[in-house]
Amino acid sequence: MEIQRAPFSPELKGLRQTLRQELLPILQAQPDWYASIFFERKASKTYSANLKQTQVTDQVIQGAVLRIYDGTTLFEQATDELDPGALKSFALEFARRVKETAPPAGATRRPYQALNWSQRVAAAKLDPELLIQIPSGTRADTQVHFGIRFRHDPRLLGASEALERLKGLLGRIKAKASEIGFPQEDLTFITARQTFVDEQSIFIDRETDMSQTLYRVALTLITMSGSDRTFARLGGLGGLETLEVKESDIETLLRDLKGLKKAERLVPGKYPVIFGPVPTGVLAHEAFGHSQEGDTCARGRSKAWELHQSGEKVGNEHATILNNPAIYEMAGEPYAAWGSYFFDEEGWLAHEQVLLERGVLKTPMTNLTSAIRLGVPRTANGKRENWSTGVYTRQTNTYFSPGDQTLAQLLARMKDGFIALHPAGGMEDPKGMGIQVGLSFLEEVRNGKPTGRLFKGPAGGDIQLTGYTPDVLNSIVAKSKIDADTDAPDRSRHPFNDAGGCGKYHKEFVFAGCGGPYLLLDQVILG
Amino acid sequence: MTRSTQGWTLDTLKHELTRRELVKGWIVSQEHVHRRERYFMLDGPTLVTDQDREVRSQSIHAKIFVRLGKPGRQGEISKKLFPSLPLGPQLDSAIEAALQTDHQAWSLPESLPKDVPQVTTTDPRMAEDLERVMGELTGKIGIAVARRRATVFNSAELFLSVHDHETHLSNGLVHRSSQSRIYSEAAYSYSRRGNDGRMLSDEYLNTRWAVNLDDIAIEQLFDETSERAEHSLDVTKPRTGRYPVIVDADVLAALFASQLTQLSSMNAYHGLPFVKPGDELVPKATGDLLTITLDPTVPYGADTAALSEHGLVQSPFRLVDSNRVIATATDKRFADYLSVAPTTVRGNIVVAPGTLSQAELAKQGPQVIEILQFSGLFVDANSGTFGSEIRLARLHDNERKTITYLKGGSLSGSFRENFRGARLSSRAVKRAHFSSGGSTGEGYFGPEFALLSDVSIVG
Repeated sequence: MEIQRAPFSPELKGLRQTLRQELLPILQAQPDWYASIFFERKASKTYSANLKQTQVTDQVIQGAVLRIYDGTTLFEQATDELDPGALKSFALEFARRVKETAPPAGATRRPYQALNWSQRVAAAKLDPELLIQIPSGTRADTQVHFGIRFRHDPRLLGASEALERLKGLLGRIKAKASEIGFPQEDLTFITARQTFVDEQSIFIDRETDMSQTLYRVALTLITMSGSDRTFARLGGLGGLETLEVKESDIETLLRDLKGLKKAERLVPGKYPVIFGPVPTGVLAHEAFGHSQEGDTCARGRSKAWELHQSGEKVGNEHATILNNPAIYEMAGEPYAAWGSYFFDEEGWLAHEQVLLERGVLKTPMTNLTSAIRLGVPRTANGKRENWSTGVYTRQTNTYFSPGDQTLAQLLARMKDGFIALHPAGGMEDPKGMGIQVGLSFLEEVRNGKPTGRLFKGPAGGDIQLTGYTPDVLNSIVAKSKIDADTDAPDRSRHPFNDAGGCGKYHKEFVFAGCGGPYLLLDQVILG
Repeated sequence: MTRSTQGWTLDTLKHELTRRELVKGWIVSQEHVHRRERYFMLDGPTLVTDQDREVRSQSIHAKIFVRLGKPGRQGEISKKLFPSLPLGPQLDSAIEAALQTDHQAWSLPESLPKDVPQVTTTDPRMAEDLERVMGELTGKIGIAVARRRATVFNSAELFLSVHDHETHLSNGLVHRSSQSRIYSEAAYSYSRRGNDGRMLSDEYLNTRWAVNLDDIAIEQLFDETSERAEHSLDVTKPRTGRYPVIVDADVLAALFASQLTQLSSMNAYHGLPFVKPGDELVPKATGDLLTITLDPTVPYGADTAALSEHGLVQSPFRLVDSNRVIATATDKRFADYLSVAPTTVRGNIVVAPGTLSQAELAKQGPQVIEILQFSGLFVDANSGTFGSEIRLARLHDNERKTITYLKGGSLSGSFRENFRGARLSSRAVKRAHFSSGGSTGEGYFGPEFALLSDVSIVG
């Protein structure tokens, strides 16, 4: 199957021209204003099937954000009225609003100048997958387009075929249940849901005119028996090749559900535990992901900023955490990680960043204003829930660096304890340095072998790992390789990152990937 | 207002839907939103606006029900439509996709509602001039930040919005409504030198949603945030064990909202966890028995509404009486599926208060833990279990007669187990919450505090 790149949508060409030629000059009315425009269109199709019905939802979210940074405040005016005349009036009204707003007395002015392409490309080490899409001799008026790679075109999947595929999955689950002796009457709810989102975005400022197209594909399977629930989630950026459901995925789903029906309750306490790649990612995300968000640091709300400046260690030699929106293939999979893109919503090109290196904090991730306020390099982490919401510093794919052990070696080393493969949320505490990682359930390990005996939380629900973040990061005993099932050299540079989401405290939901290797943690608090 | 758009109007849309033979019904909704948002922080000693945003949006959604030619079945689709694009192809593709789906058939009510109640959902000051309200609240934040405190102001956010909504049903109903929404947050930190000479610091973040300006007292929010930040360093970890635990209205609102899914006909139809009328909500309850009503008439409630999405008049509807489930919330779809009458499905969760004061609740055991804030409360609607790390709590030691602060460790609870001996406070408060992208909010009017029994805490 030929590899293709997602193209820029032809029907947006006229709008792109209007934004650059008609609107940008209005937003540049004052010489010390930094003006930019962001447009996004997310067209999603969601198909679902359960035991009672099949369903289709067809949604489009689109709008333009006009932006002026006056050296003190980032002003934004956003609309989904995209008629050129209406947009022009909107821009004029916006420029007038900014002009009439005087910065408060005593505020420091920190003006910003747009970078040209040479400066942008030189600002960070960029992935070849990104670089090859920038034409040579690119100038301010060159339209640069970045497209995600895909094999099986998700646009060609119609409603009929998608629903048949989902009904087929329900059939496979029911057949597998019979095969493993799970009574059909105990399988009280099954659902399969597939989503395809065609994400188009445009960023324009004085020196740049660029666009990107991402295809976001995901499949979720949920099985329930009474109030017990297991789920499997597949997905990434690319084509339908991201959604291959293996028989082993279905079998695991059902065996875990069967195990949960007779699961015991964990006695709260300190235990050794092995985290699978996804809980590992949640740990990275909550530990020194959120607290390394530049806007949180600029607001005085993160201890990480103080610790970065003092150089104090907050973890042992295994504690290396990265954030990287430029993961275009991972862990042997040919598709991009869930939190990837080519540029962020403020037009900064994606690149890898080390947040924590062997326990030592590096500079934080940033969006435009937090980089300016903190005086640290910009990174590609300016993200928003959608065009209508504000921009914050947000994580993309956050993960631990891989180690050198196989999973079998980690199990043997732990000997007795638990293995956790399924996360159940998490929460940051950037200033207090607490951490919370939810786990759906634990599987017991005895003499280095999983026993199949499952444990729920003390009240019959999820289990929470809690603690002081540096204590948790100092409890890491060992890490697995990316290909943890073999001692052969890793095939991929980046570990697996799961398809997940992230809230900034309790709101502003964005897509985020999280992952890493298996982690062996010693004596952490589980309850 | 049936707004005139570039290419077509809502009347055109309705006409087109009516004339298509395959279409058996539809719900069209249009929403206009005006938002103003500011993010505040300090630049040295100066309060600055880091971001200042204005958003104007409009959207038209259609839920279209089509005939499949199969007895007792119908097709459905939910689709966003764009007035700037030709209507015909948008409807053609929607109908084509709907024909591929398969639902049990149901229909919108045949008769139009009479005597639609008047409900209070929009603060008139916000509807009249959002910009002026933003200016006034910004001024209040400036005053609150300027107040001398032992703590340091870190940041605040203020979001205001007015949502104008219009619903058109294929049975001829046209209904207009609006809602105002306010979100405010404040964060303060506190630092001091520890015994080892190192600087210690921690913070407290407080958030609040409301529908009416009078329900969001900026000064009080900032004062409470600062006061709690001041205690954030005088903390120890809780000792592992089982405790009586006081939770506040924010936690109660989340727990009851989650539990109510088990009282819905949707869960009954899909085979999801369901508590049927006649059963006890909390098995073998011995404490204050819960009485829960869905009330869509609470002035300025987050889920105050005159009509349901299907055009049925909404009125106060009791679901649980003294812990006994007496009804199931059923919209028109599931009423048809299950051959029962439809009921109220919208409404703020109203929980009858108890008899004890907050101080009395704190004396109901040798040691009582009062949760001031969870880090992130996760609630499983299916099992009714919940858990979180403890961000800040008070330990009321009634034997030593001391109150100390706790931080860290986690709590694991179960609605069915830990509400068994629950006691409710006598004072009722109103709470609102709006989720990202959610068209309706969650409203709560009930006890300010509840004391849960025998809760597992690990420190």
